[in-house]
Amino acid sequence: MSGTRDGAIARAHRYFDDGSFVAELSRRVAIPSVSQEPDKRPALDLYVDEEMTGSLEALGFECAKHPNPHEDSGPILVARRIEDESLPTVLTYGHGDVVRGLESGWSQGLDPWTVTRKGDRLYGRGTADNKGQHTVNLAALDAVIKERGGSLGFNVVFVLEMMEERGSRGLREFCDANRDLLAADVMIASDGPRLSPKHANMFLGSRGGFNFRLDVKLREGGHHSGHWGGVLEDPEIILSHAIASIVDRRGRILIPEWVPKQIPPLIREMLKDVEIDSGDEAPDFPEDWGEPGLSQAEKMLAWTSFIVLASQNGNPDNPVNAVSDVASAWCQLRHTSDVDAGRFEPALREHLDANGFQMVSIEADQRRRRRASRTDPANPWVGWARESMQRTVGGNVVHVAPNQSGGLPNDVFEDMGMPTLWFPHSYNGCSQHAPNEHMLASIAREGLGVMAGLFWDLAENPPKS
Amino acid sequence: MATRDGALERAREHFDSGAFLEALARRIAIPTESQIPERQPELYRYLEEEMKPEFEAMDHEVRIFDNPVEGRGPVLIASRIEDSSLPTMLSYGHGDVVTSFPEEWDEGLKPYEMKIDGERVYGRGVVDNKGQHCLGMAATKAVLDERGGRLGYNSKFIIETGEEQGSHGLEPFIQSHTDLLATDIFLGIDGPRHSLKMPEVVLGSRGAAYFDLIVDLKREGGLHSGHWGGVMPDAGIILAQAISSITTPKGVILIDDWLPKSVPNSVRAAARDLVVDKMDNIPEPEDPEWGDMSLTKEEKVMTNTSVIVLAYRCGNPDNPVNSVPSYARARLQVRHVADVKREALGPALEKHFAAQGFGGIEVVETGRELFPAHREDPDNPWVRHIVKSLERTHGGRINICPGAGGSGPRGFFANHLDCVAMIIPNSYAGCGQHGPNEHGLKPLFREGIANLAGIYWDAGEPDAPGRS
Repeated sequence: MSGTRDGAIARAHRYFDDGSFVAELSRRVAIPSVSQEPDKRPALDLYVDEEMTGSLEALGFECAKHPNPHEDSGPILVARRIEDESLPTVLTYGHGDVVRGLESGWSQGLDPWTVTRKGDRLYGRGTADNKGQHTVNLAALDAVIKERGGSLGFNVVFVLEMMEERGSRGLREFCDANRDLLAADVMIASDGPRLSPKHANMFLGSRGGFNFRLDVKLREGGHHSGHWGGVLEDPEIILSHAIASIVDRRGRILIPEWVPKQIPPLIREMLKDVEIDSGDEAPDFPEDWGEPGLSQAEKMLAWTSFIVLASQNGNPDNPVNAVSDVASAWCQLRHTSDVDAGRFEPALREHLDANGFQMVSIEADQRRRRRASRTDPANPWVGWARESMQRTVGGNVVHVAPNQSGGLPNDVFEDMGMPTLWFPHSYNGCSQHAPNEHMLASIAREGLGVMAGLFWDLAENPPKS
Repeated sequence: MATRDGALERAREHFDSGAFLEALARRIAIPTESQIPERQPELYRYLEEEMKPEFEAMDHEVRIFDNPVEGRGPVLIASRIEDSSLPTMLSYGHGDVVTSFPEEWDEGLKPYEMKIDGERVYGRGVVDNKGQHCLGMAATKAVLDERGGRLGYNSKFIIETGEEQGSHGLEPFIQSHTDLLATDIFLGIDGPRHSLKMPEVVLGSRGAAYFDLIVDLKREGGLHSGHWGGVMPDAGIILAQAISSITTPKGVILIDDWLPKSVPNSVRAAARDLVVDKMDNIPEPEDPEWGDMSLTKEEKVMTNTSVIVLAYRCGNPDNPVNSVPSYARARLQVRHVADVKREALGPALEKHFAAQGFGGIEVVETGRELFPAHREDPDNPWVRHIVKSLERTHGGRINICPGAGGSGPRGFFANHLDCVAMIIPNSYAGCGQHGPNEHGLKPLFREGIANLAGIYWDAGEPDAPGRS
């Protein structure tokens, strides 16, 4: 074997610089693999059968398309590249589905299904979420394979789902039922945004999510406000007081069991130097919202967030003179694994009852529940990956965070007993679910190098386990 | 010799002969639905064909005016001046009705074909309000006949046709016709009684003000709740907090300037003494401790301010998405008694939010024409005169309601005509007034025509309080 680490990284950079990356991504973006629209179902199969199977086979993968355990749901592709059972195995993950195109909302000259470069931006649906990201990782594997003369030095199992934008429907059941097929020593994958476009970034997991609705339903139908206002209970007044008892005026959560007793010192240390930077168009952070005394990074990554997503009472389009019968608020918690999520609902019930809000009912959304999970920052894989990243980017600071703020299906992989390492190639200003979704060319190019370095190091110098 | 009893007898006889309901049936047949623009000719027809001839037959001078507001219904004024030294009584009714939805009425009933079934008289407008102002007209006729072509007071009537649309245009109309409408007493003939067992006089009504509360954090596009929740302000949390600061969790208002500083004892006593019939399907608060526990249910509605949230929205409730909302809006309605000035409500709310540290709440008073709060003192001489009149006709005590919970136009008359304003209701709570199967009760009509004849008779007696 010949070749060098720098050689592998240079190959990966060249893949970007000679236009191959944009060409390959353009092909993938052109397939409108929208999982939220049933009539786009053929595009989900097309992405797996035509695009990814061909590309993966060219890299030496054996591909198998599996039906989703759920009806009317996109397939799951498992591609395996096994050099030797005795070598370490990496599980990697991506999703080939995208959210709706929202064609009419894109700026002039842009189209969701065509990759268009403007300055540092590569526009197109799926460029950031997630086609651009798995394209980077597969190209980095390719660079290492070529640099090493055809052999990778480890095994790779790639699982590609097509239902991520529908809550990863079927992924957990599939993975639980196919543990042997997917068995690996480590999971390395890319999704979601970096904390700053300027700094390469690793996440060790994901916050969890718990959605619930609060309802105050007092009676059937409205009653004339002149005769009954002040006599009958007003559901919105009760609901507002209930919400005000859960969270204070500046967004601080008031239910002790919902928040970590403390941020673990190791996590606090990791986040000490992390500054969130969401790019030019990002909003300014107000200092005085959320848990006092925490940095922005700690609020986002190490604490619990409570959000009122939506709320309704009466008929807002045409208010009538009536005391309403029902008021509702759709709420969400995002949380780390430092709290007991099983206590969210009971603690809320106890809190509401203790404050006299027995009439406020809780409707938990079990379907969209996602567990918080993260790899122990002390795990040897974490230090190893940080060193690899740092070596590739040189003097630039790298960010290592305990978990992503939003929802990655990290829990599925953690439950398979492997450490999970996420290397995001997007950034917070990417408009990922909106019109004008884009990936930054500079991050894509840097990501190609980081991943090539990482895979090189995995072949040459894996962590001692 | 002309007597009070003679006048009452004539009034009852007019009902017993069937003449009253016969005329009412003709009036019900005119579909005066003011909420439907195409019905406007019916509003004119009602006044021209049904009202004008009857008033002229009683030697009232009749004028019909277009509404000062484009597209709203006309107003009729009838006036009979016997002697400018006599007191004047202005009676009020409205000739328009709410939209009918005939398919919702019970089988065999049609909104514009009046039908008598036992004690019930069905039809759109039977109680709201055609049947009621017709009682006043018939009672006037009975007194006129009994006194041999004389009333003994000056009689005026105003019949508007836009009440079911909020009486738009009525206030400017009154302001520009104060001489024509000048009166000592305003007598509205409208609404339900609290009890079938006794007549009632209503001395006031609450005013209503509407405020939109808006939290607009002015963020373009959505902020993903997974990343930005707990970091970026949530309009839904801010507005819930702001609303919760207005009352206690039990709904007791915390803005002192919204509450009446002192309510006259006579008003409180009247609210406490009110007899209210028990009805089926009357909603009860589930929480017996809701609101100010020092007040009875009647006092809450008749002597105090109330606030409710008519509507509220933040985010997209039809399809909640993972986004931290940047915008939330609520509409409050504040009903207040005459002891509180409406103009003070908005500034008091803004002052409250400022004192509570809610900087970002925009308060917008919504721009609809609003009924003012109004209330007469139960000890006013004209009030006592009319109460005595009703007690005499009824033969026992009557209900004195210090303030209807709902709002109405009487305050316009009281404010601009400087008169004593009262309402005599002749319907009942079960009348279905804005829904299908609207109906009146024959015994209440018969009683009402006599009660009004007694009031008109007594207004022409020498012991009437005279010019106010």
